[in-house]
Amino acid sequence: MIRHVFRLIWNRKRTNGLMMAEIFVSFLVVFAVAALGVYTADNWRRPIGFSYDRIWVVSVDMQQTSDDTWNMAQQETVRQLMLALREFPEIEASAGTQIAPYQLGSSNSGYQWRGRHIEYGVAEVTDGFKDLLGLEIVEGRWFSSEDDGQAYDPVVINRDMRVDLFGTGPAIGENIASEQSPDGSAAVRPRRVVGVVAAYREDGELDGMRNYAIFRKSLGVPVQAEGVRDFARSDRPPRNLLIRVRPGTTAGFEERLIKRLQAAAPDWSFEVQTLAAMRRSYHRFAFVPLAAVGLVAAFLMLMVALGLLGVLWQNVTQRTREIGLRRAKGAARVHVQRQILAEIGAMTSLAVLAGLIVAVQFPLLDIIYFVEPHVYAISLAIAAAAIYGVALACAWYPSRLAMRVEPAEALRYE
Amino acid sequence: MISSYLKLAWKVLLRRKFFTFVSLFGIAFTLVVLTLVTALADSVLAPYPPETKHDRTVVISFASLHGEHWRWNGSAGYRLLDQYARDLPNVERMAVASVQMPVYTYLNGQRVRSYLKRTDAAFWQILDFRFLEGGPYTDADVRDHRFVAVINASTRERFFGGAPALGRTFEADGQRFTVVGVVPDVSFLRLVPFSDIWVPHTTAKSDAYTREYVGNFIGLLLLEDPARLALTRDEFWSRLRTAKLDVPGFDRVEATPETPLDAVGRLFVGNGTGAGTGFGRRLQIVLAVAALLFMLLPAVNLINLNTSRIMERASEIGVRKAFGAPSTTLVGQFIVENLVLTLVGAAAGFVVAAWLLALVNARGVIPYAELRMNLRIFGWGVLLAVAFGLLSGVYPAWRMSRLHPVQALKGAAR
Repeated sequence: MIRHVFRLIWNRKRTNGLMMAEIFVSFLVVFAVAALGVYTADNWRRPIGFSYDRIWVVSVDMQQTSDDTWNMAQQETVRQLMLALREFPEIEASAGTQIAPYQLGSSNSGYQWRGRHIEYGVAEVTDGFKDLLGLEIVEGRWFSSEDDGQAYDPVVINRDMRVDLFGTGPAIGENIASEQSPDGSAAVRPRRVVGVVAAYREDGELDGMRNYAIFRKSLGVPVQAEGVRDFARSDRPPRNLLIRVRPGTTAGFEERLIKRLQAAAPDWSFEVQTLAAMRRSYHRFAFVPLAAVGLVAAFLMLMVALGLLGVLWQNVTQRTREIGLRRAKGAARVHVQRQILAEIGAMTSLAVLAGLIVAVQFPLLDIIYFVEPHVYAISLAIAAAAIYGVALACAWYPSRLAMRVEPAEALRYE
Repeated sequence: MISSYLKLAWKVLLRRKFFTFVSLFGIAFTLVVLTLVTALADSVLAPYPPETKHDRTVVISFASLHGEHWRWNGSAGYRLLDQYARDLPNVERMAVASVQMPVYTYLNGQRVRSYLKRTDAAFWQILDFRFLEGGPYTDADVRDHRFVAVINASTRERFFGGAPALGRTFEADGQRFTVVGVVPDVSFLRLVPFSDIWVPHTTAKSDAYTREYVGNFIGLLLLEDPARLALTRDEFWSRLRTAKLDVPGFDRVEATPETPLDAVGRLFVGNGTGAGTGFGRRLQIVLAVAALLFMLLPAVNLINLNTSRIMERASEIGVRKAFGAPSTTLVGQFIVENLVLTLVGAAAGFVVAAWLLALVNARGVIPYAELRMNLRIFGWGVLLAVAFGLLSGVYPAWRMSRLHPVQALKGAAR
C-alpha cells in the first residue's frame, strides 16, 4: 500500500515535486514563527521575581554619556538626592540601581567557568532594592553593613544561576568568577555569593536571560581609590532611583518631586515614569514586531492553503478517468478517498522530513545560544502539526470530489 | 496579436474564478508587504525636506573608543567633532547636532513630553527648514549661550494653543527658552533633523559634553563634491590616527564620515566600531536576500497554480500545436496572460497598500511620520510585480510548450 502510494507520487513527480517544495518552505516559515512564539510564551510563564505596583522610576541624566568616567562629586550628589527623597511623606521607600526594570539597555557578562561558558545579566543596586521590589531571599542573606570594608564583592544570584553554577551543592560563600580579570592580567576582588533570590529578571516577563547576578552599590563607602575601575564598579553612582509611593499618590506629586531633585542637582536632568507604564511600553515595543511577523506568516499560510486546495482540486479533476477505472474495478468510495489523502499525507511527510533536517540544525549546532532545546522541540511539533493539518484540510474537499466520481461517467470523461 | 492575447487572457481569468482569486490574493499580499517595507525605508532615507541636500551630505554618527581592555561605542562626542572634523578638505560647511532627548514640561499640572535637540547655527544652513514663523538662531546666539529655541508646529499647538509663538517663552527640563522660529513637524524617522524643540548646544546644563569623544552628537558635513568623499574621509582618519586622547584606559578613537545610507547600514550590519566603510551596500544586500526569501513562497505557490491551470488547457494547446503554432508563440501567449494576472494583482496590492499607509499615518503610529506612496515606490512595485510574473510564468510556459501535440490532444498531461 505505502509503496504503491509512493509510486503514484513518483509518476507525477514534477507537479508533486513543486507541491512538496511549497510544503517544505511553509514548514520552515511556520517553524520560525512558532519558535519565536514558543520562546516568548516560555519566558512569559517564568516568574519575574519582583512587583511593579506603585513603583516610580526617576532616571538621572548626569549630562555625561559614559558610565565609566564617574567621579566622587557625582556620587556625593546622588547621596544628596537620595536624602532628598526621604523628605517626602508620599515616598514609602527608595533605592538606587544602575538599570531600572523594563528599561531598554542591559548589562551582561560572560566568562569561562569550570570549563564552560556562563552568561549572566548584571544588576547593580543599593541595599534598599530588595524590600522596594519585594525580592524573595531563598538562601543566605541580602546585602548589609556586614559587607562593608570586606575583601570581597558581595553578590546575590537568582535561583536559575545558582542551579546553573552549583547544582545541588553549596552556593553561599562560593565565588562566581575566578580571581583574575578576563585577560588574566590583574587580580580582581573575588565576587562572593552571599544570598540567592527566588527570581529576578530585569526586563520582566519577556527577558530571555536566565542567570542574573546582583551586585551591591555601596554609596558613600568607597572601596577603592578614585579613578580605579574595578569589575564590580561598586562605587559607581546609580543612574536610576526607584521609589515606592503611598497608595493614592497622584501624578501631581511628580512635578514637586522633580523640582526638589532639580534643586539638589541643578546641572542634571530627571525623568519620572511609573514602572507600570514602562512595562506597558516595553511590551508594546516587543509585541509590535512579533505581531507583524505573525500576521505576515498567517497570510502566507492562508495563501499556501488556498493554493494547495486549488492544485489538488485540479489534480483530482485531471485524474477522473484513473479514479473511475479504480471504481469500475470494484474499489469502494472510501478507498478512493483514502488514496487521495494518503498521497498528500506521504508528500507532506517527505517535505516535513526535509524541513526537520534543516530545522534540527538550530539546536544541534546551538546557533542561537540562549534558546533552549525544548523550545525547538515544541516549535517543531507545532510546525509539523500545523502543516499536516493544513495539507489534509486542503485535501479533504478534493478527496470528497474524488469519492463522488461515478465509474460510468468517468470512463467517458474527456 | 497582442490584443487577441489580452482578450484571451481576460477570458481565461474569468473562466476559473477560484484560481484567479487565489493568484491575485498571493500577488497582492506579497506586493503589499514589499511596498510597506519600501515606504518605511523611503521615509528614513529619501531626500525629503528638510534634507534636500541629502546627496552631498555625509554624517559622522557613530564613534568607538579603544583601549587595551575596553571598548566603548556610541554616538560621536562633541569634542571628537569639534577638534577633528572641522575644516576637512572638500567640505563646504559643517554642523553638529545632538541626538534628541526626551524633556518634560509641566503645564497646568499636566506633563508634556517633547524631544529636544541641541545644535549649532550651521545646522539650519545645511538643512532646508521652511519657517512658519521667525527664523533660525544665529552663530551669535550660540556663542552667547542665549536661551532661544525653534519649535515645531505640534509643540506650538501644545504650548501655545496654536497661536503665534514668536517671542513667547516656555519651560523644558527646568530651563526657560524664548521662541525665535517655528517649523513644520519633521518625521520621527529622520534621524538627523527630527525633534520637537531645537536649541543652541551651549544651553546645556553642564559643559561636560565638550570633553567627550564618544557622546551623543552627530556631525553633519556638506560636501563640495560628493564623488570625492574619500578625500574627506582619509584626512579625518589620519587626524584620528595621530590624536592624543586624555581618557584614561583608552588610546584610540574611531569614526567615519559616511553617507546616511552607510550610517543606517552601520546601525544594523556594522562591525561594532566606528571604523570601516560600505555598510550601506551590505545592508542593501541583506535586505535584497530577505526580500527574495520572502518572495520564494508566493512564487512557488504561483508556479504551482499556473502549472495546474495550464495543464488543464492541454487539449486547447494540442489543437493549436496541431494547427502549427510554434512553441515560442504559445510561450509568449502564456507569459502575456500571466503578466495580465500579475498586473491586476499589483493594482489591487497598491490600493490595499495605499490604504494601509494612510491608516498608519492617520493613527500616528510613528510620530509625525508621513509614509508616502510616491512614483519611485510605485515604479519599484511594478518592476517587482513584472519580475514576479515572469518568475512564476516561465517554468509552466516552458513545460507547456514541450507537450507533444498528440498527447496534449488526449489531455494526458503529467
